[in-house]
Amino acid sequence: MKRTIPLLIVMTLGFLFVAHVFIPSKISQDFFDWFLKWTKVIGPFAVVLGVMSLVMVHSTKIRRKAHNWGYSIVALVALALTTATGFIWGIQEGTPYMWIFRNFNVPLGATMFSLLAFYIASAAYKAFRARSVEATVLLIAAIIVMLGRVSIGHAISHWIPDITEWILNVPNLAAKRGITLGVGLGMTATSLKIILGIERTYLGGGKD
Amino acid sequence: MKFSESIQKLDRRYIYIVVALAVIIPLIFPLGLKTYLTTPVEDLYKHIDEIAGRDDMAILIDFAQSPSTMPELYPMDIAILRHCFQRRIKVFTIAYFPQGAAIVEMALAEVKEDFPEIKQDVDYCNFGYKSGYMFLPIVLGMGDDIAKAVETNSEGNMLENLPIMEKIKNYDNIQVIIEITGSTPGISYITYARGRFGVDVAVGVTAVSAADVYPYLQTGQLIGSLGGLKGAAEYEELVQTFAMQNLDYSKKNASDVDWREKQYSLSSVPYKYKKARVGMDTQAVVHVLIILFIVIGNIGYFIEKRTEKHKYVK
Repeated sequence: MKRTIPLLIVMTLGFLFVAHVFIPSKISQDFFDWFLKWTKVIGPFAVVLGVMSLVMVHSTKIRRKAHNWGYSIVALVALALTTATGFIWGIQEGTPYMWIFRNFNVPLGATMFSLLAFYIASAAYKAFRARSVEATVLLIAAIIVMLGRVSIGHAISHWIPDITEWILNVPNLAAKRGITLGVGLGMTATSLKIILGIERTYLGGGKD
Repeated sequence: MKFSESIQKLDRRYIYIVVALAVIIPLIFPLGLKTYLTTPVEDLYKHIDEIAGRDDMAILIDFAQSPSTMPELYPMDIAILRHCFQRRIKVFTIAYFPQGAAIVEMALAEVKEDFPEIKQDVDYCNFGYKSGYMFLPIVLGMGDDIAKAVETNSEGNMLENLPIMEKIKNYDNIQVIIEITGSTPGISYITYARGRFGVDVAVGVTAVSAADVYPYLQTGQLIGSLGGLKGAAEYEELVQTFAMQNLDYSKKNASDVDWREKQYSLSSVPYKYKKARVGMDTQAVVHVLIILFIVIGNIGYFIEKRTEKHKYVK
């Protein structure tokens, strides 16, 4: 029963939603609208689960004094503080929540992302080698695009931005479209397997 | 140690120091490099500018972003909002990420400083944070009735009672939806809002995602895009050239092209109006530096390869 009922729900709803897309009648539209209202219920459950999981993981780390357990205290205090300020004073501009956001969240987030520039520079120096014909083509394309995306490329020659646009509009576009189509076909195949009950790994382990 | 070996085994920390200097120095001493326009940015600006002064049309901006992508995306937020406020274009903002909601507040507060006459819920409306689970019901619901689908603004007021909604009912009144995102660009809006209701969609994305949008630009599923800091710098330039002078872009004489070649002196422009363009100086220097790193690294690699080959022959 633990596996049969979820399988039946997935099969029935899967076929109904496919039918909804191909049969745009009022009945199918009303059914879809009615179903969308149910999604509102899922959100709060997910939040509760997420918070519970976060608290359990970090409190266990603190209790066991696991490696870097001090960071877990910071995570839990930040969670409690941000939630409390948001609930008490709201999340509009000028509130303590926004103060936390501006002075902690923004600089910390931006710093993490900025590190990318250093890693890219280091990787470019250490690993980006013309070891084969393919790697050389990639390397030349990368250099042209990097130049073409900044003003210096235009200052050197108007050909550089033009070639950059061509690289992005032709080879890049062809590859991206191929990948997108492949992903789309893969998703369709996997969805069909799930709807038909062939793919069951999403049900997890355990007995029937 | 041989020269080629020392090149190959250079300590990473030297690379980091050089990159740090390449980032910091142009920020302190801007180079004033010119910003060149690209078609996707120009198309988006033009499309938004077409509804200047109309109270029956608006644009919707989805702030699908977090602080980590702010250095690239926040200047886009500011430039688009400034364009809209300057040209009296009605704006709706929404965020399905909690952090995105805070960025909306920051961006609106910053741009509003220059426009005291712009009124909340009259000239713009912040729908605020909506749970990600509500994305589909809201996006599909807005095709019929925006007020019913979104229900409340960021302060909890019912949309149907707000003055901005008087002549705005559904997607027929939305000129374009712009998703400014650090993640998958615009696909959900293309699928559900454009596919079902025909509303125009555009995106603002980080530079690493910029290449992803080209298939959709070619098919017209995206009417424009801002790619990374460069996209923001281009939009900023258009805002300074046209919106700030209150010039109608759609009536621009095509032969009057000298504005494209015009070199602005950014030194007299306050920082808040040139955030992206100042950053582009740094980006240009770092790009050149990375190219130099690639070239030097490959020189070392080929010298070493040749030396090894000679050793083997001997």
